[in-house]
Amino acid sequence: MIDTAGTKAPVAGRRGPLMDRRSLTRLTVIVVLLLLALFALPPIMSAYYTVTMTQVAIYSIVTLGLGLLVGRVGLYSLGQLAVLTIGAWVGARLLFATGQPFILVMIEAGLVTMIIGSLITLPALRLRGLYLALITLMLAGGVTVIEATLNFPNGGGGFSGYDGSQLHTPQIRRPSFAGTDPAFYRFAVIVAIVMFLLVFAHLLARPGRAWAAIRQSEPSALAAGINTTFYKLWAMALAAFVTGVAGALLAGADRQLFSIDFPIQNSIELLAVVLMGGAFALSGAVIAGFLQAFLPALLQDWGVPNDWLIILFGVGVMQVLTTAPGGIADQFPKDMKRLYRFISRLWRRPPAAAPAPADTATAGKRGGAA
Amino acid sequence: MPSWAEFQPYIVTGLALGGLYALSGVGLVVLYRATGVLNLAFGAVGAMGAFIAYSIIQAGGPGWVGWITCILFCGVVTLGYGMLFGPALAGRGPLVQSIATLGLALVLFGAIDLAWPTSGGQSPSISFPTDNGGFSIGQLQVSWTQVIALGLGVVITVGTGAFLRYSKLGTAMRAMANDREITATLGVPVRRVEAAAWLGCGLLSGIAGIMLADLSALDDTTLVFTVVISSLAAALIGRLRSISVTFVAALVIGLVHDLLTPITQISNYQDMTPFVLATIALLVMPRGQVMARTREEG
Repeated sequence: MIDTAGTKAPVAGRRGPLMDRRSLTRLTVIVVLLLLALFALPPIMSAYYTVTMTQVAIYSIVTLGLGLLVGRVGLYSLGQLAVLTIGAWVGARLLFATGQPFILVMIEAGLVTMIIGSLITLPALRLRGLYLALITLMLAGGVTVIEATLNFPNGGGGFSGYDGSQLHTPQIRRPSFAGTDPAFYRFAVIVAIVMFLLVFAHLLARPGRAWAAIRQSEPSALAAGINTTFYKLWAMALAAFVTGVAGALLAGADRQLFSIDFPIQNSIELLAVVLMGGAFALSGAVIAGFLQAFLPALLQDWGVPNDWLIILFGVGVMQVLTTAPGGIADQFPKDMKRLYRFISRLWRRPPAAAPAPADTATAGKRGGAA
Repeated sequence: MPSWAEFQPYIVTGLALGGLYALSGVGLVVLYRATGVLNLAFGAVGAMGAFIAYSIIQAGGPGWVGWITCILFCGVVTLGYGMLFGPALAGRGPLVQSIATLGLALVLFGAIDLAWPTSGGQSPSISFPTDNGGFSIGQLQVSWTQVIALGLGVVITVGTGAFLRYSKLGTAMRAMANDREITATLGVPVRRVEAAAWLGCGLLSGIAGIMLADLSALDDTTLVFTVVISSLAAALIGRLRSISVTFVAALVIGLVHDLLTPITQISNYQDMTPFVLATIALLVMPRGQVMARTREEG
């Protein structure tokens, strides 16, 4: 998968050949996986899992934004769910109020979310680490309160667009080319790809280098002439933009939004899955998207209470922070490599042991114990 | 605008709530100063304790057994977490250490939902015998529980202040707040002092949990988030350092929160009080103080 761990220089290969063999393999794997997701999956997936996979695509964008903040800049935000809520609200409101194309509304929702998100977090950016995390947690609480009062637009008039008296509320519209669930799933995957490319482009360019410097040490970044507040704000704005786009996408996917769908504990869960998935690699965002959106659906399918998942996420956070800061994206390939080495050693053992005396039983034992 | 008489009862409830926020805030600040960990699982631990107390009382056990079990449970869980993860994460800075406590919060939150599912019917609640007794000031009814809540806030704040100032253990905690390494070099048993801080924080979370379950509601989302956010805001206004500022801030947050109730135009937004007050405080606070006093990665 795309691995651009913040610890490595993102543009180390610029002077060498355009692409070495490893990244070429990686690129091929990614493209094949994406093609599978786009064309092979929709015909074989049930309606339930089509909806679920759409959510996975959308939440991958959200975790992409949060992973950017946590892994690249070292900003632990607990308010990304609030940002998503704002994006979904703005998207839904615009989709009801105007006849603009869906894609345009998505971009507008992203921009509005970006502005609101930057304005709110601007005071917090004066602060470092812990204070920022706390302020964003309170922000999450605040937005939850506003959302519970304001409600999501359901086709009513006025600023809020909410009409409590309506029994049968109209659905939020979808783009004309993606009206059905499978078509909208494909659309969501494509939007997710575009968002990942947008963030990836940032990481390769100047902002990515500035963020890497800030994450290593803020004083030294400052000393190197990097405007740390500006680049931190940039990271916040970019994360808010992609999350806002994801919000508008969510509005189109769910077709009806309710404030109880955005409980405050989800903002903590979101950080949990990002940490578990791996905040330092872009592939971690996809894993986090699966953890956040696929596992609950799977458990519901199996009839297991969702609370077990929350417990699992809690344990996961403690485990990741204690022993595996890279998350699954970092740990899984390492474990697979270890497993591969283990298996290949087992494979090679018998020929080496074969020339031994006829007593194969002891030879086998010795081989096993060695 | 409602009349003054309509506000009066909310002064009482606000002060009672503020007292409990103060108690929680002081617990958070002391633990943070001694160990560098901000215990974000504070509310979740207290909520779990309160639910256990509720079950004990439901099963026919005497009330005091439930309350003591709750407080002890919270102490033990918090101490256990501190012993297990404190040393493992000691070198990782306050941010990572504090985020890790969110893991504990999630585990407890899920466990509470699993063990006490929110279904229809009678919602769980806890009541103290002191709820009904009380006295009145003019037209104002004040229950003993409310007096106890505010009193506990005052007693814990003053007691903790004196403890930090005069006792040997308190001095060790203050020393560790300044520099853990040097304190260890001077022969202070760092682990034991940290354990004491964790235990103290846990016991306080138990007290806060059971009292809030009575005064506010026995509901996991409320207990886990409202409490933590309110007392965190108070602690934040106290710059995670000053116990007395935390105490005052907690009272103000409790008061403002409840005094907004009769104003119908904004009463829906009253839960935003801690967030708004903490943000204003952070904005007004001189930058140097915030930056310099943050025990960050270095």
